[in-house]
Amino acid sequence: MARDYAADILDPLARDVVNNVGVWVEKEVRPNASEFEHADAFPEPLLKGMSDMGLFGIKIPEQYGGLDLTFECYAGVCMELARGWMSLAGIINTHVLVGYAINEYGTAEQKQYYLPKLVEPEMRCALSITEPDAGSDAQAIKTTARRDGDDYIINGQKMWVTNGHRAGVYLVMTKTDPAAQPRHKGITAFLVPHDTPGFVKGKKFDKLGYKGVETTELSFEDARVPASAVLGGSEGSGFQHIMSALEVGRINVAARGVGVAQAAFDDAIRYAQKREAFGKPIFEHQAQQLRLAEMATKIRAARLLTFDAARKKDAGERSDLDAGMAKLFSTEIAQEVVLDSMRIHGGVAYGKELPLERYYRDAPLMIIAEGTSDIQKIVIARSLVRDYPV
Amino acid sequence: MNIIVCVKQIPDPETPAASFKVDEAAKKVIPAQGIAPVVNPYDPQATEAALRLKEADGGGKVTVISLGPDSARDAIKHALAMGADEGVLLNDPAFGDIDNFQTANALAKAIEKLGGADLVLMGRASADWDMGVVPTGVGQALNVPVVTVAKAIEKGGAGLKVERVLDDGFQSVEVALPAVVSVSNEFGEPRYPQLRQIMMAAKKTVQVWGAADLGLGADEVGAANRAMPLEALYVPKVESNVEIIEGDTPEEKAAVLAQKLRAAKLV
Repeated sequence: MARDYAADILDPLARDVVNNVGVWVEKEVRPNASEFEHADAFPEPLLKGMSDMGLFGIKIPEQYGGLDLTFECYAGVCMELARGWMSLAGIINTHVLVGYAINEYGTAEQKQYYLPKLVEPEMRCALSITEPDAGSDAQAIKTTARRDGDDYIINGQKMWVTNGHRAGVYLVMTKTDPAAQPRHKGITAFLVPHDTPGFVKGKKFDKLGYKGVETTELSFEDARVPASAVLGGSEGSGFQHIMSALEVGRINVAARGVGVAQAAFDDAIRYAQKREAFGKPIFEHQAQQLRLAEMATKIRAARLLTFDAARKKDAGERSDLDAGMAKLFSTEIAQEVVLDSMRIHGGVAYGKELPLERYYRDAPLMIIAEGTSDIQKIVIARSLVRDYPV
Repeated sequence: MNIIVCVKQIPDPETPAASFKVDEAAKKVIPAQGIAPVVNPYDPQATEAALRLKEADGGGKVTVISLGPDSARDAIKHALAMGADEGVLLNDPAFGDIDNFQTANALAKAIEKLGGADLVLMGRASADWDMGVVPTGVGQALNVPVVTVAKAIEKGGAGLKVERVLDDGFQSVEVALPAVVSVSNEFGEPRYPQLRQIMMAAKKTVQVWGAADLGLGADEVGAANRAMPLEALYVPKVESNVEIIEGDTPEEKAAVLAQKLRAAKLV
């Protein structure tokens, strides 16, 4: 049954795009997602479908062959992908995020070389920040890049890299000046091609959820890249560039929270009208009505927060506060809504027949990835004091 | 080849039965709250057939027509996003309560106004009323041959080779052009619109024609001029009673059942 999930989108073109993606999700993703997920199999046919629709070029400028659609549209697309399967919105996330970083901060040569390739299925992207001893404290990374003539030599270990085995190019955060103070001034981002000598793709992590897409270790053992691989061409700006791109990632993850919560709610409100207990549909019991009302209200608030952050980004306004709020709220409520959907379903929710168990395993990723909820709160608080000078 | 595809926007056939309501006094279906209308599920297959013929031909034009309210633009936009070239919306308050014959006549007038077509394609039926008579009606109005319920269409023979779906098999026919062909779900999956085509479709202008633009007078359209007056519209009441047949053995139960069926004059 067609529910208008794009109703809160203001731009008619974006609504059209999101509705069309929604039809594809309904027909191709929802019936197949759990099978791929339970097998932890990379969903090649679904990726082909996304590629055929042109989703990988959604944020690439038209001059490079992309579609240059709005962040509002992108957020709506990610909600729909996640309503089908959260992993699909994850696969596109790092791709869009790295494309954004190249377009915003790359040199003319980097844009010309990479951006047309990112539109086509031939090249997908990965982002590599986290290390064994550096997660939320990203400035504590130990991977180094040492200048050697016209090249840099990269050494270090990276963790939790989405698209880690299949990406064509990796945006890698390194330290070119480990002694720099403040620390971020010593951080430089490199665009590392997948076939760089000394760049080794490590093991794939076995995860609770977020399956299908590979999340891997990477290691750099005297990996040699030319100086032209420095994002933007100059040392010391990598932290700023990547943090800016992560705002795009936060919109994506916020949208994922909305999508997963929506899927769990859709199942719950239908089930509540069909399932009978004590002589009537359980929807007629006030406890379930209160629960469903709270779920729907949370989802709507999360959806509007996410679109609001996306529209601020479209307007070129600073959106760290808004993207942080959207990401924090959407991902926290996704967990709550999924659990409430399980309460409504009762015992059947605990089996693997229904997709609810998948939503339950996928939800926690979102409160951790792209900056934990605690980090979002710090970002929000620091942004708020800007508005209250004393 | 110049192809015209007729598409229709309908209430979502997946609407739960409990949400389907009829205003018996007004003889109208009450649109279900919160459930967006959709493109008739057979119609994208007609558009797909048109696009495949155009691609195989290496040229030509595909024009989409829809008769309906302003929201039927979405059905046209969907076909444009699939790759159709132009769209025309037939929109007029006088079209509100017309019957299939008037619909077929209005579509035929629009096809003539567009300069005619080598081929008119439609879905095999609309999934709301499910009567499947408009393709034949359009063929009659245009005085061209009609082939219904096609599962495969290709250029050849006298004009087109068409494989039809019958109740108990398939039938291969040839038809001279111009012709009307209705397309069945067996034709295969329609393509998903690419985002770029959705963007291009958004930029295309959909022409809007009213009854007067089609040369239809007040005595030809509207509920008062239906060839098939609507006498009553209602949701049939379905009643079921269960009776457990008693008996010590299966044979005895069967005998009791047979007697009851005979008494009810069912056998």
